[in-house]
Amino acid sequence: MMIGDILAVLVIIIPGVAGILYRSGIRQASAIGGAVDLAVAGAMYFARPQVGFFFVQNSTMVFIIMVLAVYLMSTIYSARYLKGVEEMGISEPTYYLLLNLFTVSMLFSLEVNNYGLMWVGIEATTISSALLLITEKTETSLEATWRYIVIVSAGVTFAFISIILIYYTLGTLSVSAAIASNVHSRVMVLAVSLALIGFGTKVGVFPVHTWLPDAHSEAPSPVSAMFSGVLLPTALYVLYRVYEIEPVRQLYVWFAVISIVAASIFIGYQVRYKRMFAYSTMENMNLALLGFAAGGPLGLTGALLLLLSHSFGKAGAFYSSGNVLRFTGKKKIAEISGMATSMPYTSASMIMSSLAVTGAPPFGTFFGEFLILADVLSLHMYAQFIIVIIFLATAFISMNYNVTGMIFSGNKPNVENDRLMPALSLLSAVLPLFIGVFYLVVYIEIL
Amino acid sequence: MNNIDTVVYLISSLIAISAFYVQGQEFIVSMIRGQSVQSVLIAVVAFIIGWEEKSYDFFILGVLIIVLRAFLVNYFLQKRIPRQKVYLYERKVSLSYLFLLDLIFIVISVFIIYSIAFSGIVLHSFLGNSGNSAVLVFPLTLFFQGLFLIASRRTTFTQIIGYVEEENSLVLFAMFLLPIPIIIEASVFLDVLALVVISSIVVLEKFTHEPVEELRG
Repeated sequence: MMIGDILAVLVIIIPGVAGILYRSGIRQASAIGGAVDLAVAGAMYFARPQVGFFFVQNSTMVFIIMVLAVYLMSTIYSARYLKGVEEMGISEPTYYLLLNLFTVSMLFSLEVNNYGLMWVGIEATTISSALLLITEKTETSLEATWRYIVIVSAGVTFAFISIILIYYTLGTLSVSAAIASNVHSRVMVLAVSLALIGFGTKVGVFPVHTWLPDAHSEAPSPVSAMFSGVLLPTALYVLYRVYEIEPVRQLYVWFAVISIVAASIFIGYQVRYKRMFAYSTMENMNLALLGFAAGGPLGLTGALLLLLSHSFGKAGAFYSSGNVLRFTGKKKIAEISGMATSMPYTSASMIMSSLAVTGAPPFGTFFGEFLILADVLSLHMYAQFIIVIIFLATAFISMNYNVTGMIFSGNKPNVENDRLMPALSLLSAVLPLFIGVFYLVVYIEIL
Repeated sequence: MNNIDTVVYLISSLIAISAFYVQGQEFIVSMIRGQSVQSVLIAVVAFIIGWEEKSYDFFILGVLIIVLRAFLVNYFLQKRIPRQKVYLYERKVSLSYLFLLDLIFIVISVFIIYSIAFSGIVLHSFLGNSGNSAVLVFPLTLFFQGLFLIASRRTTFTQIIGYVEEENSLVLFAMFLLPIPIIIEASVFLDVLALVVISSIVVLEKFTHEPVEELRG
C-alpha cells in the first residue's frame, strides 16, 4: 500500500474515530479530528492514492477540502448552538456521532472508485443524517425528517437502476475504467438519464427536489450548513462521474435551466429565511450542474469555483440564520427587523453570505457563474443563456431585498450575547470573498 | 421457453401478485408479512438462477435476501408496531379506489417504460435464450408498485414497505439482467436494512403523515 492510499484511508476514517470518545469528549474530539483531517487531506494533495480502490483527481480534492472545512466549522459552531436547544430529539453525543458518520459517508462517496460503492455512500449519507434533523424535536421537524428519508431513498433507487445498466454495458463499475471506456450505446444513454432522476433527487433537480427546503429549514443550522454546503455538492460530484461516461448534454442542460427557473420563482415567495436559503442552494447546485453539463474547461472550472465559494457562503448564511433563531427565536422574514443594531456581527455575516450566494462580484461565486455562462455561450445555447441570466437576476433581487429588509429596517437594542457563533458565521461569509479575490489575482497574473 | 424459464416466470408472477396483495391490505402486519413472502419468492428465483447458471453468487444472494429482507426487516418492523388498536391498521383508506388507480398506473407506466427503454435489451442469463426480455416486466411492475404504495398511503410503515418493495425490484432486475458483484450487493442490502431501522425509529414518534403548514411552498 502506497502512502497516498494510507492518506486516503485516513481522510475517510478520522472523523469516525472521534466516535470512540462517545461517552465523554466526543465534542472536542470531533473538532480536533476535523482539523487533523484537513491537514491529512492537504498532505494527500501531494501524495495521491493510486488508481485502484480510490480515484482522487484534482477536482475530487476540491470537494474533499470543502467537506472537511465545513465539517470543522459546523462541529465548532454546534458546541454553542446546541446549548440553546430546548428539546433535543437525540442526545448531544449521538448528534456528534451522527455528524461524524455523515462526514465519513460523504468522504467515502468522493474517494471510492466504484459506482456501486458511491451509491452505497450516498445512501449512507441519508441514513447518518436523517436523525440529525430531529435534533430540535418538533412535529414539523419529524415530518421533515420523514419526507427526507422517503423522498431521497425512493429517488435514489432510480440511480441504482442506472448503476445496474452501467455494469450491464461495461462489465465493470470502476469509475476510472468507465470514463476511459468510450462506449456509446442506447442503454448507456438510459443509464445516464436515470442517474439524473436518481442522484438528481439528492442534488435538488426540479421536480424531485421537494425534500430539500423541508430538510434544510427544519435541521439545526450547523446541519443545514452541511446539507447545503457539502452534501448536495457530493451528490452532484457522483452525478457528474456518471455523466462523464456518456454526456447527455441537452437533457442535463435543460433540466438544470428549468431547475434554476423554479428555484428563483420559489425564492420570491418564501416567508421563512431558512427556506429561502434552501431554495438558493437549489439554484446554485443547478447552476453548477449546468457548468458540468456544458463540459468545457470554462464550465468545469466555473462549476468548481462556484461550489467551493458557495459551500462557505451558504454555511455562513445558515450559521447567520442559526444566530438569528437563537437570539430572537423567530423563523419568519417579516418578524425580523433592525438586525444592524440588534445583531451587528450577524447582520454583517448575513448580508455578506447573501451577496456571496447570489453571485455578487467580487465573491468567488460571481466568477464561477461568469465562467459557466461563458461556456454556455460558447456552445451557442443562447436561449438557455438568456433564461438563466433573467432568473439569476430575479433570485438576486428577491433574496437581497429580503435580507436587507431584515437588517436595515428599524432600530433595536443589541441582543447578540455570544461571540463565537457570529465570529464563525462571519469567517464563513468572508471566505467566498477571499476565494474570489484570490482567483482574480491568479487570473491577472496568468494574463 | 423451457421448463425452468416457465418456473421463473411463474414465481415472478407470484412476486408481482404479492405486491398487489400488499397494496390491497389495510392491516400493517399483513403488509409486513406480504413483503416477507415477496422476499422469500425473490430468494427462490435467485436459487433457481444460481442452480441453472452454476453460480454460487446467486446462492449467497438468496441467503442474504432471506436473512436481511424476509427475516430482519420483518422483525424490526413488527417490533415497532404500537400496541394500541388504532395503530394496527391504516384508517381512512379507500382500498377499492386505490386498487383501481394502482392497476391503471402500473399497466400504463410498465407498458411505456418497457417498450421505450427495455424491450431491446439482451439478457445475459439463460432467461435470454428465448430471445426476448419480457421477464423484465416483473421487476418493473414491482418497482412502480413500490412507488405507488409510497405515494398513495399516509402511514410510516406502509411507506417503508413501499421502499423495501422498490429495493426488492432492483434485486430482481439485476438478477435477470446481469447481477452486480456480490460484495456491492451485500453493501446495498446492509444500507437498506440500516435505513429501515432508522425509519422505524421515526415510526415511534410519527405514525401518519399529513400536509404541514410550515412546510408548504
